[in-house]
Amino acid sequence: MSLAWTMVRHRFAAFAGTFVAIALGVALIAGAGTLFASSQPQVSERYEHSPVLVHSPSVGKGSDGYDDYRAWTPSEARALAVRLEQVPGVRAAVPDPSFYIQRVINGRATGDAEAAKAQGHAWSSVALGGYRTIMGAAPEKAGEVALRGVAPGSRVEVLTARGPETWTVTATVDAPGFFVADDEAQARAGGVRVIGLTGNPQAAVVRSVAGADGLVFAGGERTKLEEESVSRIRWLGAQLIIAMVVLGVFVAVFVVASTCALGAAQRRREIGLLRAIGATPGQVVRLMYAETVVVAVLGGAVGVPLGALVAPLLAPPLVDAGLEPAGFAVTAQPLVLTAAFLTGMLVALAGVWTAAHRSSRVPALDALRDAAVERRAMTVPRWIIGLLTAAGGAALTIALPSIPAMQQTTAALGAAMLLLVAAALLAPVVIVPLVRVVTWPWRRAATGMLVREGTLTGVRRVASTAAPVLLTVGFATLLTGTIATIEQATRIDETAKIPAAMIAAPDGTPGLSEAAVTRQPGDAPLVSDVLLTVGGKTLSYQATGKQGLRGVELSKDLTGRPAQVEVGFADGSTVRLPVTGTHDGPAELVDLPRGVLRQHNPDALTESVLLDGPAVAAAGMKVLTVRQYVDARIGVEGRIIDLFLIVLITLTVGYTGLAVANTLLMATAGRRAEFRALRLAGGGTGDVLRVTTGEALLSVAVGTVLGGGVATAALAGMKRATEHELKQVVDLVVPWGQTLTVVLACAVIAVVAAGAPVLRRQQAT
Amino acid sequence: MWRAPTDAKLDGMTITSMKTAVELRAVSKIYGTGAGAVTALDAVDVAIAPASFTAIMGPSGSGKSTLLHCAAGLDRATSGDVVIDGVPIGGLSERSLTRLRRERVGFVFQAFNLIPALTAEQNVVLPQRLARRKPQPGAVRAMLAEVGLADRATHRPSELSGGQQQRVAIARALVSRPAVLFADEPTGALDTSASRDVLRLLRLAVDRHAQTVVMVTHDPYAAAHADRVILLKDGRIADHLSGPADAAEIAVRMTRLEQR
Repeated sequence: MSLAWTMVRHRFAAFAGTFVAIALGVALIAGAGTLFASSQPQVSERYEHSPVLVHSPSVGKGSDGYDDYRAWTPSEARALAVRLEQVPGVRAAVPDPSFYIQRVINGRATGDAEAAKAQGHAWSSVALGGYRTIMGAAPEKAGEVALRGVAPGSRVEVLTARGPETWTVTATVDAPGFFVADDEAQARAGGVRVIGLTGNPQAAVVRSVAGADGLVFAGGERTKLEEESVSRIRWLGAQLIIAMVVLGVFVAVFVVASTCALGAAQRRREIGLLRAIGATPGQVVRLMYAETVVVAVLGGAVGVPLGALVAPLLAPPLVDAGLEPAGFAVTAQPLVLTAAFLTGMLVALAGVWTAAHRSSRVPALDALRDAAVERRAMTVPRWIIGLLTAAGGAALTIALPSIPAMQQTTAALGAAMLLLVAAALLAPVVIVPLVRVVTWPWRRAATGMLVREGTLTGVRRVASTAAPVLLTVGFATLLTGTIATIEQATRIDETAKIPAAMIAAPDGTPGLSEAAVTRQPGDAPLVSDVLLTVGGKTLSYQATGKQGLRGVELSKDLTGRPAQVEVGFADGSTVRLPVTGTHDGPAELVDLPRGVLRQHNPDALTESVLLDGPAVAAAGMKVLTVRQYVDARIGVEGRIIDLFLIVLITLTVGYTGLAVANTLLMATAGRRAEFRALRLAGGGTGDVLRVTTGEALLSVAVGTVLGGGVATAALAGMKRATEHELKQVVDLVVPWGQTLTVVLACAVIAVVAAGAPVLRRQQAT
Repeated sequence: MWRAPTDAKLDGMTITSMKTAVELRAVSKIYGTGAGAVTALDAVDVAIAPASFTAIMGPSGSGKSTLLHCAAGLDRATSGDVVIDGVPIGGLSERSLTRLRRERVGFVFQAFNLIPALTAEQNVVLPQRLARRKPQPGAVRAMLAEVGLADRATHRPSELSGGQQQRVAIARALVSRPAVLFADEPTGALDTSASRDVLRLLRLAVDRHAQTVVMVTHDPYAAAHADRVILLKDGRIADHLSGPADAAEIAVRMTRLEQR
């Protein structure tokens, strides 16, 4: 261990690449992990003064693995509340219905559309949050409301599921949302799902009183009742964090592995000497592991505080990007930091593994061999793994047409990844002919000749520079290209599916109100979740209320279609309805008569209206062409996807830059003798720089050609798969701009990294 | 089957002491196969007596380095037996062979002898550290003092001259009292004065500590420090001189060998 420490201290430059890769990797894991762990479900602020919450009963787990719940009818909720109030310690049992409401200012609906779905509450629920009335009196009848920041007596315009309304403010409260009279809230919401208890009841007693009529959540368990809109935001943020960590770990291993491989090749004589004076192969392996552990400890020591310090700074941008809920705060996560530190260690050891075992086979005789002769670039395992991945990728590509349509695009992506890895592994084979062709015109010029011959004899060096460029250009092109192509295809597909020219769509709202819809000519599907009991099993379904239906229409994918089904609605009632037909959609969708759905869910909104006549203007509604409508829908998803892409590609390019820079720095430093000879032969620093720049650019070019080639071929495969899936012609969208940016970034890093040691030496002499 | 060297009678030391430090019995080394095969050593028999100083000479490509590599267990012979300090190394695993090298063999190379990261003292202790043996207190310093580098113990190789580095390498090779010390052109990269120091140290090790030394060299002046000079040509022993021979005599024999 002390030997390892001495080695690392003495030749820190050789370990710098590993150090930086580990430090950044650990910082990434520590920072992202801290954000991830900090993003825990919180007890809703509205329930802060309600130590025990009772939720309506579960009907069992749905296909997504989460519980589906039925709602209480208002009378059930009232009856249960009365029972719960008898429990010792309970001051009040407050049913908490919620409904959709948005404030309208200057004719526009304001606030977050998704969150607005549950912004309306009953006045008595103010007590659950322990909110104070600042001034005014409780709202008592329809058209009266209490809210934050508005003086009593003011008139406010709001939009609800019914339509635009003008209400009078009776009280100013220090609480989020809109509070109306209890009966009014009940009528607008339909059913109730939560009863909050104030006071200081014992959970066990509450549980026994509630029995099968409700689920009891006390203390910390209340976080399970997080609002869906908040859960969704946190889920999105978690996806990005997970993707970042996975990619970060993968590329860190890659960078460490390539650094260690190059370092081991450069240290061949030293290892030979160690072997000659009595180090067993095992001792060589242990020495290299120990060195790496030393570097990883140092990297972790830098990375952990770095990540811990940066994480809180990222919280506001994440909230702004809609990837963490408002009020998200980063907390200290010592466990995550420890895990990040250990992961750094594992990543380092995984990276050094191959290099260490290859070094241990260095014969003692190598201490006596003079020059660092270029070893064969292609080793047997490299051939085997390269050919296997190539064969796997090719087989998957060929088999594409026989794979179920749904999985084709995924399979095509998988095939492309395999082919990219294969290209990186087999690159040395292609490099020689490729370089010959590319440099043919300059073979007579001095620089051209040096670059050409230097590259041809240093295939391994070129390969280790080209490989990260290849992977980055490949992945970037492939990912952006796939998404752009699929977006384009979806746009065409969706547009074709909509049998109307113009659409009335929500404008800053989660859906259209009944008032807006009734005035529009055209089909106005109402959307709501319902519980459906089919074959004795109750599950949640997405219901669409359609005009002109007499009964329930189930998906034709659903086997064993019953004559009648029980439908559980948002107001807690269950109605037995006849099954009158089937629809073409997926199994989790169900169509119902619009009137029935509206009757049992007064809070349901309409997604959009397919206009078959001129639209009438309404609050929270805008008229779009089909094209605009589809674009807007894709755009919402697209923004998040673009954000993901930018983060992930930046991360990859960053690590590629590190790998390329490190390879070239080490390689140029190791070629001092060669460059000295060039100087002695009459070349100036300019000539040396021209050679290093030429070689660096050549390596980047090789990586770009190979990576871009594989990615383009893969994209073509993807296009065919998508065409097969959508049964229509799809345009291939190649993201030239992004690809070019990535290539340029790689080229700049490569040229600087290759030239820097030359210039530094120049200054030194 | 091991046959006695044909020149056994001429070699007093081999006869008086039947125990040898290193023995090569009909050792052949062939590189490559088929038509491209090159015979570097052709059934060579050599016995090195303990506490002797042997120089191996020969023109380029005569097989002298191969002989050293095979004798030292750095390279495996194609056929024949190599016995180091009574242990036949043919059947040893890489690990056991490494251990044997560590415990009974010392090396001095032409150049790049030291680990650049370690000080002179650390370089000297390294083989014992690798063997997980505790260095005897003072032994390392004493060894460095013996090669005249007591004041350079904490210097790194980059702070030492070529001759000094070579002396550190000799100290490292001798500190564990190996059965035999192999030196491959130890003066090849040094100037005359530094060469003289190195050769004097090797001679001293033989005379004072009864160390066995086998040295490959192309320099008749260096070979003149040895008790015995073996001349190789085309992978075979072509000639040899016993007893302290002067450099001129060795040079003559060498020239004759090259012209033959």
